[in-house]
Amino acid sequence: MPVYDRGYTHWEPSPRQARPAWWIIAKRGITEPLKKRWLLVLLLAAWVPAIVKAVTIYLKLKAGNLADLLGGGWASIDPGGFLAFMEGQRFFVFVLLAIVGAGLVATDRRDNGLSLYFSRPLGLKAYIGGKSAIIMFFYFMVTLFPVYALCVFAYLIAPEATGLDLLLLTPLRATAYCLLAGASISLVLLAFSSLGKRSIFVMVWWAIMVMGTETIGAIAEGLGENSVQVANFLGQYHNAGSLLFSTPARLEVDPWVSLATLLLWTAGAIWILRRQIRPVEVVS
Amino acid sequence: MEGSDIKVNRSKTGTEFGIEVSQLDFAYRTEPVLKGVGFRLDKGAVGLLGPNGSGKTTLLRCLLGQVPLKGDQVKVLGWDMARQARTARAGLGWMPETGGIIPNLSGVGLVAYMGELSGMPGRDAMQRAHEVLHYVGLGDERYRPCDKYSQGMKQRLKLAQALVHDPEWIFLDEPTSGLDPRGRVSILELIRDLARNKGLGVILSTHLLADVESVCQEILVLRNGKLLAQEQVAAGSREPRQVFEVEGFGDDPAFRAGLAALGATVVDDKRLMLVTLDLAQVVGGTTGGGYDTAAGVKAILGVAAASDYALRRVRRRPVTLAEEFYRMVEA
Repeated sequence: MPVYDRGYTHWEPSPRQARPAWWIIAKRGITEPLKKRWLLVLLLAAWVPAIVKAVTIYLKLKAGNLADLLGGGWASIDPGGFLAFMEGQRFFVFVLLAIVGAGLVATDRRDNGLSLYFSRPLGLKAYIGGKSAIIMFFYFMVTLFPVYALCVFAYLIAPEATGLDLLLLTPLRATAYCLLAGASISLVLLAFSSLGKRSIFVMVWWAIMVMGTETIGAIAEGLGENSVQVANFLGQYHNAGSLLFSTPARLEVDPWVSLATLLLWTAGAIWILRRQIRPVEVVS
Repeated sequence: MEGSDIKVNRSKTGTEFGIEVSQLDFAYRTEPVLKGVGFRLDKGAVGLLGPNGSGKTTLLRCLLGQVPLKGDQVKVLGWDMARQARTARAGLGWMPETGGIIPNLSGVGLVAYMGELSGMPGRDAMQRAHEVLHYVGLGDERYRPCDKYSQGMKQRLKLAQALVHDPEWIFLDEPTSGLDPRGRVSILELIRDLARNKGLGVILSTHLLADVESVCQEILVLRNGKLLAQEQVAAGSREPRQVFEVEGFGDDPAFRAGLAALGATVVDDKRLMLVTLDLAQVVGGTTGGGYDTAAGVKAILGVAAASDYALRRVRRRPVTLAEEFYRMVEA
């Protein structure tokens, strides 16, 4: 019987397996923005630094010191070089996550979407997990995945010069770093998103959080007040990441202090999310 | 996947399909909203009535387990909503009054998404989304972005998302709010069909008494967070004072005097006399559970016979739900 003629019938479950709720939320949150052409252009632009780094790696490995003329740091294939590359991607991290992440909870709060989500058999962890996975995916798109591609590229063009370290250890370090940093950044951004009902306000707060704190950190560094650098939000991730990549600290702050700061940020974000995300608005 | 005549059993024990609420107290922060509410519902169409701020939406949220509850206060389909709300919600559908639309999704995308979140496999959810959108009359509009829908279409879409996973109960919060008369009638027809022909339990929270009257068999009346009444819509008044419509001819003054002797008051309404009689004062008017209308009719017949008054018609005037509702909330 055609669907338009069937009326209301009961659902007969098929033997197919249902996906977990967080996966469903993440899948929709990732595929919907990718339908926008300008976002794809932005993603492609975020890969330009990786292409430049690939060219310099090629020149270094195949044409000796020619790459040094273009800037030695770009050609570096040691772990520190890849951490520096991810640090260099912070502009794209900032812009892309602001676009993709700002409205994730704010829109649901504005349109009473939370009430719909929590009328289904899913809990807070699945909701936050799904939303967090969306942000992490886009974070990986501009940090982790280019690092994977670069490691494989360098190994393929000169396996004898790079060795298995580059193919295994660096991607492992990058994966661990991006998983931890991505999870923390996504929770902080979601916490911001849960505080408002309009994406634009969340974007403003996110800009203050990332650009504002970086500016404060830079000014403090210029004035010799190195301890204030602990306010630099994204800088703390790269500084703490030096522990994983076994490289010198990126800031004049102990990496362990940076790690503790980030843990505090993350704990604060979880506290906010637990308070803000509920199906019922409590009007005092 | 083609629809089935057999429904998936979502009950905890396989046999409990009702709702049981006992001594439910609930407060937002320090503001008490529900006070000692208790009732038991079997599957059917139930109207939830009450003035603004009486706690209707909060009660629905308690039934969905969306707010923190104490153990064994609310049981739906046999599940304790304090501890097993997530499992129970696979068998419940919810249509919120405001919002409830996720922007940037097409109608079919939203309904399928909600189906998947209810535990349906992706392909099943998509096929079922097409079916329910056709059922609610949005078949031709299903690929349009849902934030561009008109108010009537949004209400239908919200009904579709509440139905996609084929729940046992659907909770509808003001489903006809903001609809034109035609849209209202068609939404009510859908709800009536679901309750009467498709075996779904429906709780319809609304201010519109006519909506409840046309769809529901039972009503719950809330005021200031307290349950004032749980009654069958067709049961009529449980008040001792009832109105009878009387039409006849003959010795009018004698008949009126006889009625006055019974303690009745008479008001003329065109050709009719509206006789208000206190059944508690009439012989045989009080029964175990309430008042016997037949005793009132019998008493009027007796007065008519005694005063030589020929009756054409005597019947109890039907009590409208509106009259009943206002009697309860204003009492």
